[in-house]
Amino acid sequence: MNWLDSTVHRALVEAVLVGVLGGVVGVFVIARRLPFFTMALTHATFPGIVIAALLGVNLYLGGGLFGLLVVAAVLAFGRGRGQDFTTATGIALSGGFALGVVLVSAQDGFTKDLAAYTVGDVLAVGTGDLVATTAVAAGVLLLLALMGKELLLAAFDPVGAAALGLPTVLLDFALLAVVEVTVVATVPALGTILAVALIVGPAATARLLTDRLAPLFPLAAAIGVACALAGVWVSTLWNVATGASIALFVGLVFGAVFLGTAVRGRVRRAAAVRA
Amino acid sequence: MSERAPTLVLDRASVAYGDVPVLEELHGVVHEGEAVALIGPNGAGKSTFIKALLGLVPVVRGRIEVLGRPPAQARRDVAYVPQADTLDPDFPVSVEQVVMMGRYRRIGWLRRPSAEDRAEVADALERVGLAGRARDRFGTLSGGQRQRVLLARAIAAKPRMLLLDEPFNGVDAVSQHALLEAIGSLKAKGASVVVSTHDLAIAHLACDEVCLLNRHQFGFGPTGDVLTPERLRATYGGHALELRGDRVIVTQT
Repeated sequence: MNWLDSTVHRALVEAVLVGVLGGVVGVFVIARRLPFFTMALTHATFPGIVIAALLGVNLYLGGGLFGLLVVAAVLAFGRGRGQDFTTATGIALSGGFALGVVLVSAQDGFTKDLAAYTVGDVLAVGTGDLVATTAVAAGVLLLLALMGKELLLAAFDPVGAAALGLPTVLLDFALLAVVEVTVVATVPALGTILAVALIVGPAATARLLTDRLAPLFPLAAAIGVACALAGVWVSTLWNVATGASIALFVGLVFGAVFLGTAVRGRVRRAAAVRA
Repeated sequence: MSERAPTLVLDRASVAYGDVPVLEELHGVVHEGEAVALIGPNGAGKSTFIKALLGLVPVVRGRIEVLGRPPAQARRDVAYVPQADTLDPDFPVSVEQVVMMGRYRRIGWLRRPSAEDRAEVADALERVGLAGRARDRFGTLSGGQRQRVLLARAIAAKPRMLLLDEPFNGVDAVSQHALLEAIGSLKAKGASVVVSTHDLAIAHLACDEVCLLNRHQFGFGPTGDVLTPERLRATYGGHALELRGDRVIVTQT
């Protein structure tokens, strides 16, 4: 009997993996102001899933490859209009999701499969999902460790990065592709609609707690893991949807930290006025 | 002056975004240790001029040579200082980390900063008078201090040519003084400086040469020869007023 044969054990491992991955990648998403892009990717990968289901290939491979096309399209249309991807992203979000819906409505029969995809179920992840998430997490963390300083500069000061001769198009593509594979890897646990929670929430919460870049990564990863584990625990305890439980914890923790820092800020300002 | 090597050669150059020419007929020479002020109204193409020297906007006619090379191949020895308020003040990056970015080209891909890089960063911050703020978040500094941090980033890169885009806009007197001091010491070490500014007094104070720009060049040469009422009036299209015959007030920039 293998330890990973247990559904709950697999769910716990998956929760730790997506918690770390979402937290770390989220730091870049928050710093570069890409939450909307992340949200859009969760929807724009949808047609890839449907096409994969039609062809009978791995759903996440389909979503991943289609997502890369979306990333390339957003970059192609978004560049040259400043560094703002918002307009191209909005079109990719609605266009991609619409294509998925049209493909689904043209077919009968596999809507049940796809339901799991939209809300996710970490208790249903298989060993194959775990291997895929581990591979993505290792690849992404290695890339961020090796190219972290160049990605940082390109995010903070794109013209300055170009002036140094850095390949900014390639760096933008690398960052957006990292977000894309993270979205796809998070989907089995949280589903397309909720995956954004684990990427944006923990990093945003960590950002409230520190101004410094280095501690942001471990802090966001720790918050992500804690929320993911708490979500799995609550969902097995009360038999409620796991993805939604994780997303709820992320929201609650952000809300609590936001209130806490706001109150502390007021107290400090009041103390400063009295002094 | 003439024995100094030329660092920037403009030979009847025109630069364009796509098919739209932005600047035409640029012509002039800058030598080692000289500073040139780019003067002209908003939309005159001053930022484009600087981007052309970085090889980020193509030369469509004529020739631009930076340090004897085409602009894109000279980047290793050229440092660019953007306007501080174009950068996101919420970005979670410290003053020290911003200055370290000036060393990235020397550090190279996949490597981490060495003790020497850290020493250069500390030295550059010292030279702009912000050594005590190294660990603060960039966005918590005043506009003038952020501009000094960006100059420190350029100093840390040890450039032979320094390009500054409107560094004195909205900058307090202390920061202005610190910026002028630091630019002066780079010049003394033989670096060339190209600085765009609205401030004619600063052009007089800090620069040897002036380039008057408004879509094309209205003059390039020693500050005293070029900053004349007639030429300024021509550059600013009548929005310059004469005062006591020898001074000029620019009423609209």
